[in-house]
Amino acid sequence: MALSGMRGLSVFISEIRNCQNKEQERLRVDKELGNVRTRFKNEKGLTHYEKKKYVWKVLYIYMLGYDVDFGHMEAVSLISAPKYPEKQVGYIVTSCLLNENHEFLRLAINTVRNDIIGRNETFQCLALTLVGNIGGREFAESLAPDVQKLLISSSCRPLVRKKAALCLLRLYRKNPDVVNVDGWSDRMAQLLDERDLGVLTSSTSLLVALVSNNHDSYWSCLPKCIKILERLARNQDVPPEYTYYGIPSPWLQVKAMRALQYFPTIEDPNARRSLFEVLQRILMGTDVVKNVNKNNASHAVLFEALALVMHLDAEKEMMSQCVALLGKFISGREPNIRYLGLENMTRMLMVTDVQDIIKRHQDQIITLLKDPDISIRRRALDLLYGMCDVSNAKNIVEELLQYLSTADFAMREELSLKAAILAEKFAPDLSWYVDVILQLIDKAGDFVSDDIWFRVVQFVTNNEDLQPYAAVKAREYLDKPAIHETMVKVSAHLLGEYSHLLARRPGCSPKEIFSIIHEKLPTVSTSTIPILLSTYAKILMHTQPADPELQNQIWAIFTKYESCIDVEIQQRAVEYFALSRKGATLMDILAEMPKFPERQSALIKKAEDTEADTADQSVIKLRAQQQTSNALVVTDPRPANGAPTMNQLSLVKMPSMSNVDHNSADQGVTQENGTLSIVDPQPPTPSNGDFLDLLGPLAIEGPPGASVQSEHNLVSQVESSSNAEERLAIAPVGEQENTVQPIGNIAERFHALCLKDSGVLYEDPYIQIGTKAEWRAHQGRLILFLGNKNTAPLVSVQALILSPSHLKIELSLVPETIPPRAQVQCPLEVVNVHPSRDVAVLDFSYKFGTYVVNVKLRLPAVINKFLQPISVSADEFFPQWRSLSGPPLKLQEVVRGVRPMSLMEMANLFNSFRFMVSPGLDPNPNNLVASTTFYSESTRAMLCLIRIETDPADTTQLRMTVASGDPMLTFELKEFVKEQLVSIPTASGAPAPVPPQAQPSSSPTALSDPGAMLAGLL
Amino acid sequence: MIRAVMVMNTLGKPRLTKFYDFQHVEQQQELIRRVYAVLCSRPENVSNFVEAESIFGPDTRLVYKHYATLYFVFVFDSSENELAMLDLIQVFVETLDKCFKNICELDIVFNYSKLHTILDEIIFGGQVLETSSTEVVKAVEEISKLESAANAIIPKSVSGWLSRST
Repeated sequence: MALSGMRGLSVFISEIRNCQNKEQERLRVDKELGNVRTRFKNEKGLTHYEKKKYVWKVLYIYMLGYDVDFGHMEAVSLISAPKYPEKQVGYIVTSCLLNENHEFLRLAINTVRNDIIGRNETFQCLALTLVGNIGGREFAESLAPDVQKLLISSSCRPLVRKKAALCLLRLYRKNPDVVNVDGWSDRMAQLLDERDLGVLTSSTSLLVALVSNNHDSYWSCLPKCIKILERLARNQDVPPEYTYYGIPSPWLQVKAMRALQYFPTIEDPNARRSLFEVLQRILMGTDVVKNVNKNNASHAVLFEALALVMHLDAEKEMMSQCVALLGKFISGREPNIRYLGLENMTRMLMVTDVQDIIKRHQDQIITLLKDPDISIRRRALDLLYGMCDVSNAKNIVEELLQYLSTADFAMREELSLKAAILAEKFAPDLSWYVDVILQLIDKAGDFVSDDIWFRVVQFVTNNEDLQPYAAVKAREYLDKPAIHETMVKVSAHLLGEYSHLLARRPGCSPKEIFSIIHEKLPTVSTSTIPILLSTYAKILMHTQPADPELQNQIWAIFTKYESCIDVEIQQRAVEYFALSRKGATLMDILAEMPKFPERQSALIKKAEDTEADTADQSVIKLRAQQQTSNALVVTDPRPANGAPTMNQLSLVKMPSMSNVDHNSADQGVTQENGTLSIVDPQPPTPSNGDFLDLLGPLAIEGPPGASVQSEHNLVSQVESSSNAEERLAIAPVGEQENTVQPIGNIAERFHALCLKDSGVLYEDPYIQIGTKAEWRAHQGRLILFLGNKNTAPLVSVQALILSPSHLKIELSLVPETIPPRAQVQCPLEVVNVHPSRDVAVLDFSYKFGTYVVNVKLRLPAVINKFLQPISVSADEFFPQWRSLSGPPLKLQEVVRGVRPMSLMEMANLFNSFRFMVSPGLDPNPNNLVASTTFYSESTRAMLCLIRIETDPADTTQLRMTVASGDPMLTFELKEFVKEQLVSIPTASGAPAPVPPQAQPSSSPTALSDPGAMLAGLL
Repeated sequence: MIRAVMVMNTLGKPRLTKFYDFQHVEQQQELIRRVYAVLCSRPENVSNFVEAESIFGPDTRLVYKHYATLYFVFVFDSSENELAMLDLIQVFVETLDKCFKNICELDIVFNYSKLHTILDEIIFGGQVLETSSTEVVKAVEEISKLESAANAIIPKSVSGWLSRST
């Protein structure tokens, strides 16, 4: 091929090549840019040829990495040059230099359009290429129909049509709202019948774009794709120029199979059969040959076929065949095939049936961790990570640990993170988990992120059984000559907390522990010293009776750091020194760390965040969730009744202590109030959120009342946050209350709970209050479940019971703070003194952020809870009924405005209130007789009898007679039943209640009923 | 979709770069540098795949081929088949070979403009346009004819006629 004949350009390029160094190159480039700029400025004398030469130079300089801020206009203007070479340069350079939003492109849009609709095919090609590379919205708006026309035009050459197809694809991808593809399914189907393989390849790419967006419109294209596959793979019906190393256009085969993967499934049995025939042929007919290019091509098709088989969820037999093939690949000679074999095996993990077959290859995969190619090692690691479950975790994690010492530096961080996650997820026991993490830190300390050691500390803190073991291990590592700083941190923390558990062991006296940790101090950085200081303070606290020598040593250290330039170290030194002189108070203040609220592992979350959300990855996640070992179950104490799980993934970071607050909101308040300083050891950034959890409380732990006058800093935050609380509390409750809306109808919830013993009493966006009750005779135990729905604590929680005179209610202590996502149970003991319909009220309030919420809730400790249904025979009933001869023991009343209901419904209603309905006892079928026992301290067990006489002609009224041995009980019960009959709560599935004040005459059903009208008049 | 095509020599000098997602020039250089840093440390006889997500972001893959003093690199997303991309590099190189007769790095350096023409006939806006090197060579020859015809000061009308008749 001839050179493009631009001597000036060649000279420039060779001069650049001759530059000895980057500086010379830059000088040469600057000179040339100056030259070109001057020439462009005096545009008059510039021929098209010269312009073209300079524009190429500009593009060349651009590729070398120099920002070229001129010449764009010249490039764009060349597009409208009449001659082909200039126009071509204009198009090529423009599409390299400009992005789709560049304003100069607008200037070219008309020329481009003219070239596209013009009859010069070479111009059409140039214009399509530009639009296909950088065409934006305006191009889509003005050119899409023209491009569509070119694609389906029968008079166009394939050269133009294939470009039109891809141009359309670009415009559609970028602006699916502008490019109208309605009704394109038929055209696409036609295009897939194309004989020219160039056009067919482009059209298939277009189809992939269209079906990936909406497969439903393109079902007609599905058989066509299978046809293409049959044509290529089975019939080998291709012109020789499209045969690549003996393989009929591998690209087209791949594209056709890709398109098929966008259809959810293939229903038509015939299509399915022919497709599987082709796939089988591809799977079976691919051999490894000597020629690398042929191998690549045939395996490109093979791997795509595997993906399609997986997608179609073929029969198990075919799947195992695929896994067997992959097993062959990963032990093959060709590195590319090994690489893809591993990748596809990872993808295969989503097919549930074959996991066990994949596990058979575990040893082979582990060998590949030592492959000479890092790309393959990475894939092997991914696959091992994905296939790990409880059954093989120990094996895999230990292999990873072993590999860690020899692994490339580029992989160590990933490797240690993955090992840590697997150890956590699938640990057969906790001590193994601790071993793994400590080994990780020991072997690859530089690559172990803080999250990893935070997590192990968290587990140890929350598992008492583990604490002595962890302390022993930490102590052992300290004996090693040179340990990583992270190991110093974790050991110091663990020994500070738990070394007193080892006190009797040799080498574990407080003194010895102190001196071995203190040995490390000169070697560590400033971020570790605060941890060591905390450890010293804790050792001091655990040494009872105090050892004066040790005390003096440690005090000397504190004194030394009192003037440290690092604020954190200085503060701790000052505080601990002062605290340690408080004697017994020290014990309270430096008590053992409280348990951490359970949460999702920051590591696992991190892994999930970084994982691209590809199908295979999410499947791995899913499997991992299903198979998590029980050893490290992270319990999330949410209410059992499936409240909507908002923020489930978010990190919770709050030890359950009301006076320690790292809540960012409160911190804001602290600053706003302008107190002396902020005590947070480090600003709460997302990355060290856990760090705060672990170490924050160490520094500022302690009740606000602790009389630590010298630590002004220490208490200032506590004070200021309590100031803030007061300030908020002054805010009018009513106003703030309005901003938190309850979820659901409080009255309905109450009525429902009158009929059943457990359920939700109240719910709003922050809290859910559930109740569960047991009633025995005149006593009851009602448990309130206070569930915090948030990831921040609810504070200032208060619950007061306003109980009526007849109920003795004792509420156990309600904590002031409900930790994030935690549920607190508060049992209530209830004793019924005498019969009454009055209801106890729960006055509940809490604070969340700036909201102060106060609600008054009726408690479902109502009269019918103290009833016990009792079956009474006719022989017993009538004597009783007669003996209770009249008022005040037997009361009768005509009740009007009764919600119409059948006798059956009424019987169910009585049953739900714990009356025993005795059918047939009353000879009149329209009447209903029921009996129950009422319990209270004053009445003891007392039989109650009820008789309801209904009028079939008028269901809105009835006569009710209630009798019992106690006048108060008779009255209260009568009133209670009346209330229920005129106003029936909807919750038990009964029809909606008629408002009690509604008169019979106002009811539409009553109006249509002459009998009712009459009754109303009466 | 193909995100980028890079041709660089074994010293890391770019010989041809084309980004199908617009990248600012500094960004381009940074990407080239980082790709080179990975490639130059890879031994012979390893796979043609390199982890790309740390360089190009999520859902990206990279295949490369090493010919004499040149690396040919394609970067693409998961909608493309890796081996098919590798084949496409081979097609690109074979086409260059046909156009320049035993191509070497110098041909590429001095025919910088031609390379763009050839690449545009193979990859179009990040999609595979043509996979038959025979077809690509045909198209490129047609364009060269047009160029030389124009350089020979043939009137515009004739050039237009020529393009339609071929």
